[in-house]
Amino acid sequence: MMRALFTLGPYAGLIAAAIAAYYLFPSNLGFVTTVVVAMIFVLSLDLVMGVAGISTLGHAALYGTGAYAAAIFATLVSADPLLGLAVGAGAGAAIAFVSGLFLMRAQGLTLLMLSIAVTEVLSSLANKYSGLTGGADGLSFTPGALFGRFEFDFYGQLGYIYAVCVFLVVFGMLRIVVASPFGLTARGIKESPARMRAIGTPVYWRLVSVYTFAGAIAGLAGALGAQSTALVSLNVYDFQRSAEAVIMLIIGGTGRLWGAVIGTIVFMTVHQVAASADPFNWLFVIGALVLAVVYIVPAGLLGLPEMVKKLTGGAR
Amino acid sequence: MKFTHRLAVAAVVAAIAQSAGADTVKIGILAPFSGPFAMYGTQFKQAIEVYQAQNGTSVGGHDIELIYKDTGGPNPDVAKQLAQELLIKDGVKYLGGIVFTPNAMAVAPLINQSKTPTVLFNAATSVINAKSPFFVRTSMTLPQVSAPMADWAFAHGIKTVATAVTDYGPGIDAETAFTKEFTAKGGKVVDAIRMPIQTTDFGPFMQRIKTEAPNALFAFIPAGAPAFAFTKAYSDNGLKAAGIQALGTGDINDETTLEGLGDASIGIITSHHYSMAHDSAENKAFIAELQKLHPGAVSNFASIGAYDGIKVLYKMIETTGASGGEPAVKSVLGMSWVSPRGPVTIDPTNRTVTQNVYIRAITKGADGKLENKEIDTFPNVPDLGWAN
Repeated sequence: MMRALFTLGPYAGLIAAAIAAYYLFPSNLGFVTTVVVAMIFVLSLDLVMGVAGISTLGHAALYGTGAYAAAIFATLVSADPLLGLAVGAGAGAAIAFVSGLFLMRAQGLTLLMLSIAVTEVLSSLANKYSGLTGGADGLSFTPGALFGRFEFDFYGQLGYIYAVCVFLVVFGMLRIVVASPFGLTARGIKESPARMRAIGTPVYWRLVSVYTFAGAIAGLAGALGAQSTALVSLNVYDFQRSAEAVIMLIIGGTGRLWGAVIGTIVFMTVHQVAASADPFNWLFVIGALVLAVVYIVPAGLLGLPEMVKKLTGGAR
Repeated sequence: MKFTHRLAVAAVVAAIAQSAGADTVKIGILAPFSGPFAMYGTQFKQAIEVYQAQNGTSVGGHDIELIYKDTGGPNPDVAKQLAQELLIKDGVKYLGGIVFTPNAMAVAPLINQSKTPTVLFNAATSVINAKSPFFVRTSMTLPQVSAPMADWAFAHGIKTVATAVTDYGPGIDAETAFTKEFTAKGGKVVDAIRMPIQTTDFGPFMQRIKTEAPNALFAFIPAGAPAFAFTKAYSDNGLKAAGIQALGTGDINDETTLEGLGDASIGIITSHHYSMAHDSAENKAFIAELQKLHPGAVSNFASIGAYDGIKVLYKMIETTGASGGEPAVKSVLGMSWVSPRGPVTIDPTNRTVTQNVYIRAITKGADGKLENKEIDTFPNVPDLGWAN
């Protein structure tokens, strides 16, 4: 009973928060939807960085590929949004597998550089093949009706509900994966690759699989993002996208799925509030937030309760 | 069912808001105010302030309220989300600004649904206006300024040209328009170089052009830091000494970067629709007011796009007030006035300004500073990219 409550409680909390957001911010649904999309993207990064310990600054490569795949599929084949998501996830996984084959042989700084390089290569390709991708002008498309019945509306209501449902599915799936033997091996590799190798884990292939799986989720996020904007342009491959995702993860706390969720919400809300209050100098606030979190709670916002416990415990 | 219900509520709320505050009309301005393209936002804002200082903050009994939103760079997702917020939450009836093509493309479906007149202060790809009948453009298009450059070059004894453009949409537009016009006149394009967008070292391209020894080089590079590097590479590699004339669109030497290009840039010839050195009473009044409000400020193509853009928005609001929609757009089609850039007309077909395109040479002005001196004029050039 308690155990069921423990597993389902946070879920109920998430759903309640999603419903509350719908009624609290009826005129900001566009923004709330981008937050949900970003959460999926950061969850994927958390799996790679936080769980498996793969350092990357090129996660946008997977996101962007998913976004382009969904948009091109919608233009050429079918505008069905769910099919688009599947295609985006497939493309994200494919590119993650192919790039993972050589990325996972590298570590540390080399890996960081290579991950950036992959994104740059893809960005150049998207620019070069402008017949297919629309180049710098972007590729606009109209996502079809959901289940062939529900049209995406001007206020972004359906778009929001759709994104939240996709998020819940992804989040649930990730919780299972992270707790599975597969997820535990990934954690083990992060702690000590040598020890994992000693007990017989094929470290390299395990990393490639984690990266491929994360690629599918990032690709899904990209496809969802593309559908909610109804346009994809070269900025999906921006370095800034990869870097901001890392910042969101660090703010929330790496290695824990809730960290990705909380970090994204905090970062994007502060960003939104600061940018509307002062569209000219808001970057200052963002910088201050990151500095504060990194210096005061290095474990991220999720580490805050533990830190407080430790402090009060120490005083006793 | 739920959606229609919510829509109805929203409509009622909007109606109440409208009747209660009928005398304030809101305009949303989407522009980059942070990051590497913040120059545009600054120029827009300053120009709007100048217009308001000269013409007041109300028109036809309607008070004007401006809401600025920061889009950063080419971020269609951000632009769309901000436009949605402006339209739904802030209840703006008119939009303005927009620097990048993808941002305009992302906003197009929204303004089609909400019927919101949107004045583009910058975004310069011809195809944008085809995406929505609610777009009106007060900047220019690249074909509009590139083709006259080709005409002028051929008429002034330049028979062979190598083109060098940044490898993305606008660059390719410029290359296509220039090449088409130049070869139609009988000129020869000896090489068409497309340079990656991240290029910072233009030396190798310059060397290649030098060995090909054409009469001139035609360049399009987006305004900003690369323009310095390009101009420097042009003189350092001895192209100037070898008698290869540099031609380009006004993006490579806009007024915010002009002074930094240094004396090596003297003699470079570009075509554009606005020069801060344009000799007219309107321009002098504009610059005087600008420098009164912001000492040391310069005006460039972005300033003039916003200055004329806000004028168009004022005209719309004067005619249709808070109702906006199609009649607002209709009220400015064919509108003609004398802008600080010269005479302009909003073409009723493509909704882009028809304007003079000036051939300008970088020269040292009377005050010792570099300026874009107008040496020739192509009067009333329409958006040449529209028919394509």
